[in-house]
Amino acid sequence: MISQRLKFIAPFFILFLLLALFWYELFYSHKNTLPSALVGQNIPAFSLPTLTPPQQFVPDEVKGRVVLINVFASWCNACHVEADMLMKINQEYHIPIYGIAYKDKAEDVRNWLRKYGNPFVQIGLDATGNTAIDFGVYGTPETFVINQQGKIVYRHVGAIDQAAWDNVLYPLIQRYQQSDVI
Amino acid sequence: MKIKYLLFLYLILHSCFVFAAEPANIQDRYNSLISQVRCVVCQGQSIADSNAPLAADLRTKIFTMMANNESDEQIKQYLVQRYGEYILLQPRFNLTTGLLWLFPLIGLGIFTYFFFLRSNRSKIIQ
Repeated sequence: MISQRLKFIAPFFILFLLLALFWYELFYSHKNTLPSALVGQNIPAFSLPTLTPPQQFVPDEVKGRVVLINVFASWCNACHVEADMLMKINQEYHIPIYGIAYKDKAEDVRNWLRKYGNPFVQIGLDATGNTAIDFGVYGTPETFVINQQGKIVYRHVGAIDQAAWDNVLYPLIQRYQQSDVI
Repeated sequence: MKIKYLLFLYLILHSCFVFAAEPANIQDRYNSLISQVRCVVCQGQSIADSNAPLAADLRTKIFTMMANNESDEQIKQYLVQRYGEYILLQPRFNLTTGLLWLFPLIGLGIFTYFFFLRSNRSKIIQ
């Protein structure tokens, strides 16, 4: 008797679970969080020319503090949207930001900095896009959070807005700043 | 204008010859590799089928890695390390993808188990 009733209910139950799953995927899954396969690993080795040659931008420079590495391009629309936020992060929150200019010309990057100000400690010019591939970059802008040991701990895809900064990135950075202090 | 056009033509032809100069089996290897790699910014295309700039960069990267005598497995490993298992159109068989590969078998097992159990039981009732 009980098993018969169970048999009757089971298909509806399975259907309900399936619909609940679809509902979740449709409305609540976070499409902008694309976990990097590199999370927990060291920054890939690179050596990029900077805006002030012959100086080179190498991974060793970012070690010793929690920093952001921002992959941007002057030809990328979302990066223009993000530019003011990067300035704010630099001036109000005092988090060092390093830039990788993806497939960009030095002159265009200079114009960009004149227009929006320069939030970057150092900018590496990745003219070929090879370093971006090493970082597993899909497109610009993308931002990586690097801990004091020079390991990638988080990746943000797309422009950083105030909400993403307040809710995700800044708390995360503060946590790493505290946990990394020896 | 004309010079630019000629330069463009030269570069295109030049790149053809660079690729054509490789022995046929390397060409085949390259073609098969790029058809196995997903264009991560496209919808269901391999980087062989896509004109997206990132796909072109990845093709160049694969070509350079082949020129450096790296094996197919090394190249795939390099890509998976950076873009995740998702970048391979056909996932490899390992711990993370094991369930994916074995699920049809497991499903079939469960199905046969219940199927025979049921038929046995109905025989008993008869």
